[in-house]
Amino acid sequence: MKAILKGVSALALTAALVAPLAVSAQETTRIVDEPLELTMHFHFRDKYVYTQDWPVEQVVAEKTGIHIRNTASLATTSSRDAFNLLIASGNLPDIVGGDAGPTLKDDFIRYGLEGAFIPLDDLIEEHAPNLKAFFDSRPEVRQAISGPDGHIYFIPYVPDGKFSRGWFIRYDWLEKLGLEVPETPEEVYDVLVAFRDQDPNGNGIKDEVPYFARDEVDAVRLINLWDARVSGSERYGDFAIYDGKVRHPWAEENYKVGIGHVADWYAEGLIDKEVFTRGSRSREYLLGNNLGGMIHDWFASTATYNTALADEIEGFSLRPMLPPRTVSGDRFEDARRQQVQPAGWAISVTNEHPVETIKYFDFWFSPEGRILSNFGVEGLTYEMVDGKPQFTEEVLTSDTPVNAQLWEVGAQVPRGFWQDYEYERQWTNEIALEGIEMYEECDCLREEFLGVALNAEEKEIYDRYWPSILTYMTEMQQTWVLGAEDVDTGWDAYVERLNSMGYDRVIAVMQAAYDRQYGAQ
Amino acid sequence: MMQVRLSHYMRTLGEDLRRDWQLYLLVAPMIIWFLVFLYKPMHGLQIAFKDFSIFRGIEASPWVGLAHFQELFANELFIRSFWNTITISFLGLVFAFPVPIILALMFNEVQNALARRWAQTIVYLPHFISVVIVAGIVINFLSPSTGIVNTALGWFGIAPIYFLTQPEWFRPVFIGSSIWKEAGFESIVYLAAIAGVSPTLYESARVDGASRWQMVWRITLPCILPTIIIMLIIRIGNLVEVGFEYIILLYRPSTYQTADVVSTFIYRTGLQGTQYDLATAAGLFNAVIAFVLVYTANRISRKVSSTSLW
Repeated sequence: MKAILKGVSALALTAALVAPLAVSAQETTRIVDEPLELTMHFHFRDKYVYTQDWPVEQVVAEKTGIHIRNTASLATTSSRDAFNLLIASGNLPDIVGGDAGPTLKDDFIRYGLEGAFIPLDDLIEEHAPNLKAFFDSRPEVRQAISGPDGHIYFIPYVPDGKFSRGWFIRYDWLEKLGLEVPETPEEVYDVLVAFRDQDPNGNGIKDEVPYFARDEVDAVRLINLWDARVSGSERYGDFAIYDGKVRHPWAEENYKVGIGHVADWYAEGLIDKEVFTRGSRSREYLLGNNLGGMIHDWFASTATYNTALADEIEGFSLRPMLPPRTVSGDRFEDARRQQVQPAGWAISVTNEHPVETIKYFDFWFSPEGRILSNFGVEGLTYEMVDGKPQFTEEVLTSDTPVNAQLWEVGAQVPRGFWQDYEYERQWTNEIALEGIEMYEECDCLREEFLGVALNAEEKEIYDRYWPSILTYMTEMQQTWVLGAEDVDTGWDAYVERLNSMGYDRVIAVMQAAYDRQYGAQ
Repeated sequence: MMQVRLSHYMRTLGEDLRRDWQLYLLVAPMIIWFLVFLYKPMHGLQIAFKDFSIFRGIEASPWVGLAHFQELFANELFIRSFWNTITISFLGLVFAFPVPIILALMFNEVQNALARRWAQTIVYLPHFISVVIVAGIVINFLSPSTGIVNTALGWFGIAPIYFLTQPEWFRPVFIGSSIWKEAGFESIVYLAAIAGVSPTLYESARVDGASRWQMVWRITLPCILPTIIIMLIIRIGNLVEVGFEYIILLYRPSTYQTADVVSTFIYRTGLQGTQYDLATAAGLFNAVIAFVLVYTANRISRKVSSTSLW
């Protein structure tokens, strides 16, 4: 009863606010005349489930006539477990969605091929103009989510915005020591040495940590200076594309050079001694205690330390810098935001209303659906200003982060939707925006490896060899950096071992799958 | 003949049940627990021989014979993890097993009741701390820049050692901190055994002029030997089981070489890599080895000391 009342009031609210549009929009957004209820399993971020109480959901239910009833239990504190249990039970609701770790995309495809989810291509062609237009404009997304049989089995959550992480350095330290922003590997070296030796924090103790990192993926990021890559995607240790060829960055010749130098720098104390053990709080600790000098990390969150520490550390200025040029004179940024998230939703084989369901999925890709899924409900979380959604002051100045507030109303949840970076820009720190603009101008992102869908034979090869190879490579990476073995003497044995562990065979199946999936480009 | 014996057996069972039903009622929850959590899941062990898909289910997944086992034994990381498990357990047996016994003997010798209670409480306490917190304490203590251990080493002019990233330090750190955590609590069972030793033995020894050392050596130890042996057999059965939570919290890729054990291997492939069938095969192999070990230990013990589990 309460839910219905809330629904009515939210509807009244939106009806009043979008009144001029409503007449024409009502016609097109209505999917069914009689309200239709669909069941859905939707568990996400390990602690949320889909709910009809969300204002966004109520507006959409009213607009489309499709009512979603969630079947996922909040009692489970792992979205992955919830998904696995659902699949194992065999008792599938009409829709399965949400997120569940980095492999959910592969799971949608795998269980789609086994008959749990239906292929969506024909349905999209006939009933989903918005989705069709989207896939036509972003063919790489379509390719990235296709199964080995060429079909689409789920509609993904498509993030927007290109940049994730970038280089930050203490500008106030540079100024104090009379240094410029480093532009080459040699200059980076000199700056880090100066940070180490010349006491930029001025406490008289040699306690500065020149380069530090929070995540594994950034611990060895300095190998970029020797043209080597850490990963082909946001996932640590992913494959990468080199001129249309799939290879692994950690088996490349430039990686040997890069990791060798990083090991030297580590030994000299230019890289945090505890870079592998300090964990996720290292940034907070090292910046808060005025110890850290240079970092590669997320733009938005790293930039906020400028405001957070303004009162505690005099003159604190941690600002973004362009990626330094590499030894070969190149300039590139290794990290980028994922173009497709392993999240979204799929239609179960037991669903008796596939057409209505795909129309419902399609709604979220319509201009109206995009605003709802990105900004929430008009009047509640945003207002229209000059025809564009703008978050209300209340939302922007609240103590709760904006994204957390949006989850509360049912926006920015990992359904199959198309994110709009504008939503994030509106509450991103100015210094971060400055960095993003700088990187935008540089235009130095590397191509993202979007992943491949392996067929059964390829998957068998992959599963047999790859987990061990990746473990071995990770192990050797740390062994070298920590100085337990010298890279120059160990490299040949390393390459040989990779081959004996099946590296070439894995690369061959990855390449075959890649050609099949992206060949048409 | 079979029939007669069986019907006789059923009849006595029925009588026993009627007569001692309260006792059987007491034991019932444990039996049910065993059936539900240990015997029923055995049905799922068959996925070690199948190409398992959670969607198809256990029944509908096709058989693949010993393919997963072949894959395991061809995997050098699995072989390594197996030897690491044995090594860590064996070192644990050598260094950690005697500690609770020694502790119990020492407690027994403390005459002042108050001091004894305090000492016992202090050594029991770590047992009740979650492994996550213990791992946090260990990481902090061993930190090369701020850890107390390296600070202490610094006083003697020793350069800081980055204990947790060096393979050769993993086992000492792991076993040492495990002893700190568990030895006190494990000593309880020996204390109980010591409490059961008849005081008359000590009295007559004292009359004969035995020293305290002789009493420990000649009376206490032989009397608690059966307990020690039972604990040892159980321990040997667990040789291939190393608590993986604690290892996962402490190990890094740079120490996999000495720290990666079968259970962490299973965790990585089975849960993180979702290769349930392969992980089940690894688990099954582990269980078979454990069974052989217990069986052998029990046989030897029965022969040598006439104390055994069965």
